[in-house]
Amino acid sequence: MDLTKNERELRELYARWLDRATKLGFAVSLAAFLLYVSGLVPAFVPPADLPRYWGLSVDRFIAATGAPRGWGWLGLLRYSDVLNLAAVALLALVTPACYARLLPQLFAQRDWLQLALACAQVLVLLVAASGVLAGGG
Amino acid sequence: MMDAAAIPWWIWPIALFFVSFAIGIVAVLAGVGGGVLFVPIVGSLFPFHVDFVRGAGLLFALAGTLSAGPPLLRGGMASLRLVMPLALVGSVASFAGALVGLALASEVVNTALGLLIVGIALLIWRSRAVDAQNVDADQLGALLRLQGEFHDPAAGVRIDWRTHRTVLGLASFAAIGFIGGIFGLGAGFANVPALNLLMSAPLKVAVGSSGLLISVINSSAAWVYIHRGALLPLIVVPSILGVMLGSRIGARLLRSTPAAVVRQLVIIVMLVAGLRAVARGTGLWI
Repeated sequence: MDLTKNERELRELYARWLDRATKLGFAVSLAAFLLYVSGLVPAFVPPADLPRYWGLSVDRFIAATGAPRGWGWLGLLRYSDVLNLAAVALLALVTPACYARLLPQLFAQRDWLQLALACAQVLVLLVAASGVLAGGG
Repeated sequence: MMDAAAIPWWIWPIALFFVSFAIGIVAVLAGVGGGVLFVPIVGSLFPFHVDFVRGAGLLFALAGTLSAGPPLLRGGMASLRLVMPLALVGSVASFAGALVGLALASEVVNTALGLLIVGIALLIWRSRAVDAQNVDADQLGALLRLQGEFHDPAAGVRIDWRTHRTVLGLASFAAIGFIGGIFGLGAGFANVPALNLLMSAPLKVAVGSSGLLISVINSSAAWVYIHRGALLPLIVVPSILGVMLGSRIGARLLRSTPAAVVRQLVIIVMLVAGLRAVARGTGLWI
């Protein structure tokens, strides 16, 4: 097995996907933030009201504002602050997407140990994202 | 101290942007993760609850390292083979740490965070990097093929490297990931010594791989904060944009700025911010 050649291919593949996904995530974050602070799209908690709440712990903040937990925000994407949360979630999905893209390449290279590690990492990130263990379900 | 409630809301995201921008520059110059400066500084000087500051700190470090990942990989300074097993252990531990961190009282978190930051400042002050050593890989390291080659343009040499003490390295990244998850830190301050001093990766490979590790590990912990509702866009997004811009400028300044000056500046800032967090947590100075 040509380790160096395989290593370079994997590295370039991961870097290419990381680059594209990160730029997309940042562009979406910036656009969503401008919508939020400009007031063009209504917010679930308007920015002008936030100073009353941002000094509270997260539990008290949610109790006071009714802000969503877990995947509850998916049903509130019409609000600009929730759109921002979706953009941030996109950033947290960049790494699992890049790892998932490595899987067929590792399979083709018959690098079983690295393939097992990458599969386990994708699984860990998907479990984290699912919210099952975070009580966010 | 000025009454935070009297300040218009829009001042805070603008201030956050500039603070994050400055941290982005200093962090690159000093070779530390931005979170280790962001969390104590923003936690001490801004009116936000520490829950939201830690969530923003994780995203801050995630954004910076995602952005830096492609050039680090292409330059051979980050090794996927080295990162994959360590990141797997670290991300499980970081997820657990984030769960624990959000369950703790803010006074406990502030005090522990302050003590940790002061400890890290002392660690940075005391630690010295080592150059690449020729080490023999241990059995697990050989099995995982924790090795590679790296062309150092500054020194004009090609370095063939391999690591050792793999089990200790995995245990270290479990501990680092757990602590980073609790406090919302990227933990680059600990990754680099673990990779360089403990596992004997060349310094530049350790620095580059640390960035990639943070991007994987923080992706796991970030979901805990997302699901718990501990991310406020008004805090997170200006921080992300600021650190992105600052990191790029920091990378350009890296060649011309005396590293020792920046290092001393980072140590002083961390000591002040750490002691401020302790004072806040213990109620000595709210």
